Amino acid sequence: MGQEPIKEMAGSSTSSSEACTDPYLRCAFNGAALTALGISHSALLAHSPQGCEYLVNNAFASQECDYMETMTLCTKLCVDEIVHGGEDILARTIREVKDLPISALFVLSACGPEIVGDDIVGVCEALQPEVKFRLVPIESAGFRGSQYDGIDIAMDTILKKLVKDDVEKIPGSVCLVAPHANANPTWPADLAWVKQVLFRMGIKVVATLTHRTPIAEIENIASAETSLLLSHDAGQKAADYLSATFGIEQVCKGIPLPIGMTNTQRWLTALGDRFDILKTAEEIVAEGERMVMATCRRKWPMARFMYRTPAAIVADATVGIPLVRFVTEEMEMTPELVALYTSHRSVWELLEGELKSLGLNPKVVYGTDVYKTRKSLQEVRPRVVFGSTIERHASEGLPVAYVVEVVRMMRQFRMINREYFGYTGILNLLECVQNEWVMGWRSKERRYEAKW
Amino acid sequence: MRQIAIYGKGGIGKSTISSNLSAALHEMGHTVMQVGCDPKRDSTRILAEGKFIPAVLEEHREQLRIGKDEYAINLKNIVFKSPGGIYLVEAGGPEPGIGCAGRGVLTALQILKDLKAFSTYNIDVAIYDVLGDVVCGGFSMPIREGFAEEIYLICSGGFMSIYAANNIARAVQRLAKRGDAGLAGIICNSNGDEAFEHAFIPAFAKRLGTPFVQFVPRSPVIQACELGGRPVVEYAPDSQEAEIFRNLAKAIIENDSRVIPTPINDLAELETMYRQCLVKDKK
Repeated sequence: MGQEPIKEMAGSSTSSSEACTDPYLRCAFNGAALTALGISHSALLAHSPQGCEYLVNNAFASQECDYMETMTLCTKLCVDEIVHGGEDILARTIREVKDLPISALFVLSACGPEIVGDDIVGVCEALQPEVKFRLVPIESAGFRGSQYDGIDIAMDTILKKLVKDDVEKIPGSVCLVAPHANANPTWPADLAWVKQVLFRMGIKVVATLTHRTPIAEIENIASAETSLLLSHDAGQKAADYLSATFGIEQVCKGIPLPIGMTNTQRWLTALGDRFDILKTAEEIVAEGERMVMATCRRKWPMARFMYRTPAAIVADATVGIPLVRFVTEEMEMTPELVALYTSHRSVWELLEGELKSLGLNPKVVYGTDVYKTRKSLQEVRPRVVFGSTIERHASEGLPVAYVVEVVRMMRQFRMINREYFGYTGILNLLECVQNEWVMGWRSKERRYEAKW
Repeated sequence: MRQIAIYGKGGIGKSTISSNLSAALHEMGHTVMQVGCDPKRDSTRILAEGKFIPAVLEEHREQLRIGKDEYAINLKNIVFKSPGGIYLVEAGGPEPGIGCAGRGVLTALQILKDLKAFSTYNIDVAIYDVLGDVVCGGFSMPIREGFAEEIYLICSGGFMSIYAANNIARAVQRLAKRGDAGLAGIICNSNGDEAFEHAFIPAFAKRLGTPFVQFVPRSPVIQACELGGRPVVEYAPDSQEAEIFRNLAKAIIENDSRVIPTPINDLAELETMYRQCLVKDKK
């Protein structure tokens, strides 16, 4: 603290040969699959080699798709399709499934077919009269960028292809732009919390982009009066498109998502303001805060002894930016490093605003990769890291006493989704910190390392 | 078996040189196979009496269409013998606008290798006539995969052909380090400005670190042979041009030079070198 911040925008970092640039994010193909699989009663056809289909399977699990409702297919491209193009095999595959009882088939192209010039849009247009469902081609080659870019590509296609513009506006309604760009591993609970709050406020949700969304809802999106973006990493383009094309106003724009007391209160108040239901919003805030305080009083989380401990936050912007205030205000730690996977200008502005309002001056890294994270941890040497298992490994050999795995936890199985948004979300995060603190006491090795 | 690849700018006369070289080598008693590595599949027309022969990738596509694969391809359907006795193959390419032609060329060559085409016909010399420029990594694959061992660059006095030759030399420099391939020499196929070409091309070859092998003049005899669909050594065996191709064949057979070239990486330097020679020539 007290030093000048070192700001690193993506692409400005070292290109030294020693730099390992292991990414945190998967490719655009994965992002597109994550988005397409959020539409229920549909199927996804990966026009790709079979290795890329792994990313579809991963997206399938992340979206918690029901295999009784959603099918995934793959053209399993090989060298023959690279030489001659894969349009024939794509057409053959679509014809083979033409009687599937689904509402839409999303055709996603991977890197190979896009390099050799397969025209998936042309194939889908030609075959549309032969099939009973909507064919939606999404040109989502992995090389187009990160999974965030893939989400934006898929949303753009879905909106342009499916939304009808001859619908009447529903007063007091909202379209949730909830891309699967949330590093909370059990993120559907965040979405559920938002829906629950909106229900209580009497705000009608017209559609969700995308999670278990029927295609009829997508078609009807233009009837929404407002949109609510639930990510700082992806989806802004979709919200802007809805605004420009259908006059759908984006609410809660430029406000960190509702993680932690202040953020939740601010977010709910903004919502209450827009829909003229401030009283209900204040009630939710009061009830929530009472519930959190009563719970803490009874449960006695000991992690409060981490007062003024130097902390690092390594996460996506969706979770990471609101965590800055949570770590500062609720945990009373001092964030000395904020490393975000994302590097959009809007993320930069949002974080700068938060840091300024909190009077913080940490090292900030945008578009971080594992190498940059490791280097930053070596430089800052925090005692606590809010991140994932990756940071647990990246901080080996450093005096990092606790790594609170709040994002993208690997090898951890959870049957029940747990939100970070809202008041129960605060308790969930507190629980993560508390358990990490307890594990530090229980582990002989880690207790020694932590110099307790 | 000698594996010779002819590279150069599109339209510079690679197919003409390759076909006449094949005919001259055949006349010397070698068993020659000419492999056209261009999706246009027009490399072997001069040797095939002006006809287009079916291409390997066409046959491959046909087999795929009926649910079979490359193992269903028969050598008889892809290797043809010219009236003069030279074995002819055209790699062909995917349908225009789709697929990867570079990868296609490699696939065609791999099919030839898998079907043991060279040993089946006891080929002494294989000549690969490769598409105009190394437009992408795919077209460098014949070098990378060891099909092309001796690489000859064709150029004329035109700057763009020199530029293309230099670029191909850069690709050879990159790829030669990992295998047996190397630049074996430069052949000049004249565009008419002979004085300049005689001055510049040998100097350019020296700059690349490779021998200047042969000068082929612009000649109505060669053009007439092309129109007649026959190589010069057959159509006009007693002509001066036939002698030039015989000399070229002899020079290539005797040439054991294979170098990693030293191309000019700075376009400005290449232009300066070209202009200086042009000025001297005008004086």
